[in-house]
Amino acid sequence: MSSSFRSDMGTDPYDSVGDDRWIIASASDRGSSRGEIDSLLHGAGYRVRSTDLRHVAIGLEQLESTMVGDQCVASSAEAIHYNPSDLTAWVDSMLSELAPDPHLLRHPLSTAAANTWADPTQQRPSLHRLENHHQHRNVPAVSLQSMDEEEDAAIRLVHLLVSCADSVQRGDSEMAGSLLDQTRLALARVNTGFGIGKVAGYFVDALCRRLYPPPPSATGGGGSAANLEILYHHFYEACPYIKFAHFTANQAILEAFQGHDRVHVVDFNLMHGLQWPALIQALALRPGGPPLLRLTGIGAPSPDGRDALREVGLRLAELARSVQVRFAFRGVAATRLEHVRPWMFQVAPGEAVAVNTVLQLHRLLGDRASPEGGDAAAAEPIDTVLEWIVGLKPKIVTVVEQEADHNKPSFLDRFTEALFYYSTMFDSLEGGRVGGSHRGGQQQQQTVVAAVAEAYLQREMCNIVCCEGAARVERHEPLARWRDRLGRAGLRAVHLGSNAFKQASMLLTLFSGEGYCVEEVAGCLTLGWHSRPLISASAWRADDADDASPPRDHQTLVLQDHSSSITSGSNNVVDGDDHLHQHSVMRSHMGSSDRINDTGSGSSCSRV
Amino acid sequence: MAGSNEVNANESKMVVPLHTWVLISNFKLAYNMLRRPDGTFDRHLAEFLDRKVPANASPVNGVVSFDVVIDRTNNLLARIYRPAPPNPTTPLADLHRPPSPDPFPVIIFFHGGSFAHSSSNTAIYDSLCRRFVSLCGAVVISVDYRRSPEYRYPCAYDDGWAALKWASTEPWLHSGKDAKLRVFLCGDSSGGNIAHHVAVKAAESGIEVSGNILLNPMFGGNHRTESEKRLDGKYFVTIQDRDWYWKAYLPEGADRDHPACNPFGPNGMKLEELPFTKSLVIVAGLDLVQDWQLAYTEGLKKAGKEVKLVYREQATIGFYLLPNTDHFYEVMEEIRNFVTCNLKQPANI
Repeated sequence: MSSSFRSDMGTDPYDSVGDDRWIIASASDRGSSRGEIDSLLHGAGYRVRSTDLRHVAIGLEQLESTMVGDQCVASSAEAIHYNPSDLTAWVDSMLSELAPDPHLLRHPLSTAAANTWADPTQQRPSLHRLENHHQHRNVPAVSLQSMDEEEDAAIRLVHLLVSCADSVQRGDSEMAGSLLDQTRLALARVNTGFGIGKVAGYFVDALCRRLYPPPPSATGGGGSAANLEILYHHFYEACPYIKFAHFTANQAILEAFQGHDRVHVVDFNLMHGLQWPALIQALALRPGGPPLLRLTGIGAPSPDGRDALREVGLRLAELARSVQVRFAFRGVAATRLEHVRPWMFQVAPGEAVAVNTVLQLHRLLGDRASPEGGDAAAAEPIDTVLEWIVGLKPKIVTVVEQEADHNKPSFLDRFTEALFYYSTMFDSLEGGRVGGSHRGGQQQQQTVVAAVAEAYLQREMCNIVCCEGAARVERHEPLARWRDRLGRAGLRAVHLGSNAFKQASMLLTLFSGEGYCVEEVAGCLTLGWHSRPLISASAWRADDADDASPPRDHQTLVLQDHSSSITSGSNNVVDGDDHLHQHSVMRSHMGSSDRINDTGSGSSCSRV
Repeated sequence: MAGSNEVNANESKMVVPLHTWVLISNFKLAYNMLRRPDGTFDRHLAEFLDRKVPANASPVNGVVSFDVVIDRTNNLLARIYRPAPPNPTTPLADLHRPPSPDPFPVIIFFHGGSFAHSSSNTAIYDSLCRRFVSLCGAVVISVDYRRSPEYRYPCAYDDGWAALKWASTEPWLHSGKDAKLRVFLCGDSSGGNIAHHVAVKAAESGIEVSGNILLNPMFGGNHRTESEKRLDGKYFVTIQDRDWYWKAYLPEGADRDHPACNPFGPNGMKLEELPFTKSLVIVAGLDLVQDWQLAYTEGLKKAGKEVKLVYREQATIGFYLLPNTDHFYEVMEEIRNFVTCNLKQPANI
């Protein structure tokens, strides 16, 4: 009765241990100990990954329960034994051999057994003993980074974060400070390269800032506006959310502009005007020829004498000219959206107006009066703005917003919601990067883009956690609430057709990794990561926007020539450039009390 | 018999660190596969599963090892561990030079394994012996004694005695102005049992032993003690497997009150008149054999022999194999003190 052995599997009993057994690196660095051979058991002749220990232990337990009585000897004698040094494989193979019952779950005890081993930190020799024994100084630390440990550490981290936020809400800064310290310690036990560990780090910093606000610095709003554009651009590149917003909105605008010769787009946040080339090109290709396109872009004033809005307008005009679309641009510089007035757009009668708001409307919200969200409490800027939007009688209002409720009255609720929202966002940055098709981008480049994109998101997170009152502008609310609000303001939903849905899905497969998903919800589209929607796009029109009156020539309208220039009235600055006349309007109209100025943002929050 | 396996598993997991649990459970499982109900032993599989390491004459952490033949008639091997010679490119002959001009201890070590398992080149014991060298500045001789059931009583004791005699004739193992062999007998489990019996023979023969170090020594008897009943199957060991190993070692037809198994039992030898050495006995509080070990300690005391008992309440068998608990470090400290204290003075009064 002899056992059969796999002779090609290293049956030499000497194969497990070499001269290096004492030189195995001590597993003092938790990060590097993952996946390393456990040094304690290596000294006993076994090669096991520290991270496999629990799995092996559970396997041994199961083996014992299946091998009862005298049968175990008989059955094991006929078993094929694998290399006993590779304990993980040996245990697994013994289980397959001796317990092939498919009903015998691999880890029936895993939940119960997971945390029941004695905590080795209690058993670890006290430090002074280690000091006394010079020869024992090579003793490696016990390493326990198994998957269960990671999950437990992550859960604990979240719990600490939320508890800290709770203390902040209650005004117990001492408790909050102490919890922050514990959270930092817990942060050291998780992998901060991805997942909850990564986003938790940012939230820890944000909480810290809230508890101990830094002195107002000179950095202010000026530099950060240009900075924000860079961050925005990287966020645009790193993931499909903004792209999705742009092409969904453009599709709706395009459809709404059908049959109109003169169209006017009001963009609530111009940035680099990334949305408009595609629309300009689509209009150029429109059957029947392109309309006259006016674009009014709202943006933050440039502090350094540059006219950033004008520069963007120039570029867009170049493009329009190249595809023979008559184009005019106007910039409106404003620090806050609620300072903008409709007359600044100079909408001409007969123009088809499209109002485009991508991640902007939430900035106009104020504190919600009650947990039930009674909005009738105070007149918020949003109401004023929605009123004049409706007053413009737009053919289409495109609204893109974050799909989250970061404007709940309770700080703790906002904090928790944000923690999970941005955690998912970060996951998508990470996951989308790995899987997506690359338009020639190298791995390294993508890493930088993703990192800067994270900084963009960090600004949002920071605003949600650290700022209050007028300074808190990232007041995201979910689509359902926007529906109510926009409806009450007199706007009706326009179904984003199946075209938009198909286009969105197709573009996603082209540009992004697996994991992103588009969904249609009552005529609106959402884009999310796995099952969590993160951004929503919807389209609206005013009730009585079905204005059948034909466009009329107006004295403020311009003669058309192929160079797309517009002059209208004495209010405008006419410059010698025969390609384009455009002007930043507001500063020259400063007779009124509506000063649109940079009132100076002393906080780290950016404003438009 | 023991309670359900699941209950037992959960109990042991409460006090045993993960690494220790994995190591000892693995041994237990493997050993279960080797013991046949008819009393035979699957030696082939045992040797396959045993993790071994070669001797190494190159210093590793300041220790070198090499194998010697002690008794050609029995193919008796031993592995010698010693502090690395100062000259890094030392010729092999230097290994047989005294490690130090000053008195140094020689520890004759008998590995455990319930008389049936393991060898002097088993990885866990190689590690332990190396540690003893560093701990005490000792030369350690690990004896590869013959094992049961192929070789029963008294083979293991004979081999132990042969090793002691051999050491006493090796000049390089003698030290001090008086050029004495300052020898300690040390063993765990069955090795502890062997150490006792070799010490008895030494006392009878006039060879001076500086001290005995017994780690969880393996003793027993016909009577079922309270600790055996209470801890049966709870911490890796069962009464059933203890019985099997005694049956495999003791002469055919003998019971557990045989003096090899039960030295202070009804058939035990009186030690009062013998110059039996001092003893350090370490007992693990979760070892089911502890009542026999405590009885042994009492027996020594009653015979007027000096004994120090170190009782580690929450320790299981094999705690000295992994340096991951206070038990390990404190017991090593005890051993070091015992050896150092008994090095200078002759042991017998």
